Amino acid sequence: MGRRSVLAASATLAWAAWAQPVLAQPAARPRGLHSVVDFDEATWARLVEKGPRPAAYVFTASYCPNCPDAFEKLRAFVTESRRPVELGVVLMDLEGAKALAHARHYAGATRLYAFQGFEPAIRQSVDPKWPNVTPYIVLLGRDGSVQRSIGAPEEAVLKKWLL
Amino acid sequence: MTSLQKNTPLRALLALGTALALCCAAAASAQQVHDAPTKGGHGAHAAPAKPPAAVRKGRPQLGTGAAFAPDGTLWMVGVDPQGRLFVQAAALGEAGARWSAPRLLDTGGDPISADGENRPKLVFGPQGTVLIAYTQPLAKPNTGQVRLLRSTDGGRTFAAPVTVHADRQIITHRFESLGFDARGVLHTVWIDKRDLEAAPKVGNKSSYRGAAIYRNTSSDGGATFGPDIKVADHSCECCRIALGRGADGDLRALWRHVFPPNVRDHAVAVLRADASAEPVRATYDDWRVDACPHHGPGLAAAEDGFHAVWFGIRQQGEEKVPGVRYGRLQPDGTPRPGTVRLLPDERAEHADVAAQGPRVAVVWRSTDGMTSTLKAWLSTDAGQTFALRTLGSVQGDNDFPRLVQKDQRMVVVWRNAEGVKVHELDF
Repeated sequence: MGRRSVLAASATLAWAAWAQPVLAQPAARPRGLHSVVDFDEATWARLVEKGPRPAAYVFTASYCPNCPDAFEKLRAFVTESRRPVELGVVLMDLEGAKALAHARHYAGATRLYAFQGFEPAIRQSVDPKWPNVTPYIVLLGRDGSVQRSIGAPEEAVLKKWLL
Repeated sequence: MTSLQKNTPLRALLALGTALALCCAAAASAQQVHDAPTKGGHGAHAAPAKPPAAVRKGRPQLGTGAAFAPDGTLWMVGVDPQGRLFVQAAALGEAGARWSAPRLLDTGGDPISADGENRPKLVFGPQGTVLIAYTQPLAKPNTGQVRLLRSTDGGRTFAAPVTVHADRQIITHRFESLGFDARGVLHTVWIDKRDLEAAPKVGNKSSYRGAAIYRNTSSDGGATFGPDIKVADHSCECCRIALGRGADGDLRALWRHVFPPNVRDHAVAVLRADASAEPVRATYDDWRVDACPHHGPGLAAAEDGFHAVWFGIRQQGEEKVPGVRYGRLQPDGTPRPGTVRLLPDERAEHADVAAQGPRVAVVWRSTDGMTSTLKAWLSTDAGQTFALRTLGSVQGDNDFPRLVQKDQRMVVVWRNAEGVKVHELDF
């Protein structure tokens, strides 16, 4: 193998390694979710304080037929933005293997959470006024701004979020 | 220029490329570790993964059905922590409810939905008939069938469960409600997705809006059933259906509908044994949303129509106001103007309503963190004015409160993880 080939291979490897995090965004082939993170009454405060930004959290339930559509609109917007965004899905009524099985409806999510504990208390830790309607979507901006929506957020809200 | 000197740019590039590759690969590897929640979650902000679900205490299935037996004893049906269906009876006295030991019922191994909006139901009928209905979830998500246990000896014994509907597709037949009309005809209604399944797709999505409401009747107390009959296209998919028997003896069903294009208000239909009646619109919150409230309505007969409670979000001026509302309906199910009002509790959820003459009771659960409070709104003037009462509170998991009525007597049955509380309503 000549030097040029080695150089070319090296450069290709370097580009691929550099590009990997970008391609791992929802913009490209969705990564599979292989684990579920517990979401309890303290989780939301930790996410708001120390979690990644920008981020979107889609609170959903297995019985919610509107939720995958809302997620897909959000994912498409993130994809188009070409920016690294945390795209979390929070299942309120399933846990463990059942939650993972349900994750196939949310291809492109970066993380899967499942409620652990008394559902109303966890819900109120996210928003005391959230009336248990799903999908409930919270957008955390890079600057710490918080926007909430029942159903898919409006285009203007999404643009403001990733400004 | 030496050969070394000549090759320097190439070697430098090679070294740079290799170093960049190794560096980026290491970074990518670090990202993978960071992404692995089983190794501590998402950095410092995620809770450590707990043991697998198999060894955890699962979400309690506390959804219950309750009814007074003809002899005045209070019965309830639910599932135990092992998912087994049981009934219990209680004599109500000065000291409260004295529950008998739970009696397990043979369901042939059916799994049973008992999660609040979709819970087992219990109905007493003519000639010693006792019926217990439940949704048996099937393996495919959001699918199920409506099953029925039937007793003809006052609940001493029950026959093996049967499927109520004729359609046997592995699709949604869930959120059933059932009741007898004044002529002794049994009516069963449920949410059904056969029309959604059959509708043409646009891309990979169905062109059908929501689900449908189906029903059937039985003129022999649940021994046999007539054909499945469509009540309405385009219901909301996962909210309970409320039933109420009007002064004319006919049952009405009240459910959350999806009016075009995506308005999640409520509709009423009269359930007649011999004919179908067109549904009418019962609420006008005009809540336009593609979302699942999972929050069905309540319905009770009034002397001149019906009392109804429901959850919705209504535009009031510049503000969208979510909440549970009370309103009066005409005998045909259309709203009685000027009767809608918001319950005096912004945390109210899953309200139930019952009425006897001018006495009206609305009860609901109000949660604040781990504490759930049972509240009642009581009227003695047919819903023109109400008095607010707090009946009790519990910590942690609990069911929605259920109003149970027999003649003048009204009680609230409220199950939590520790037991079942019965609150007698005193107007």
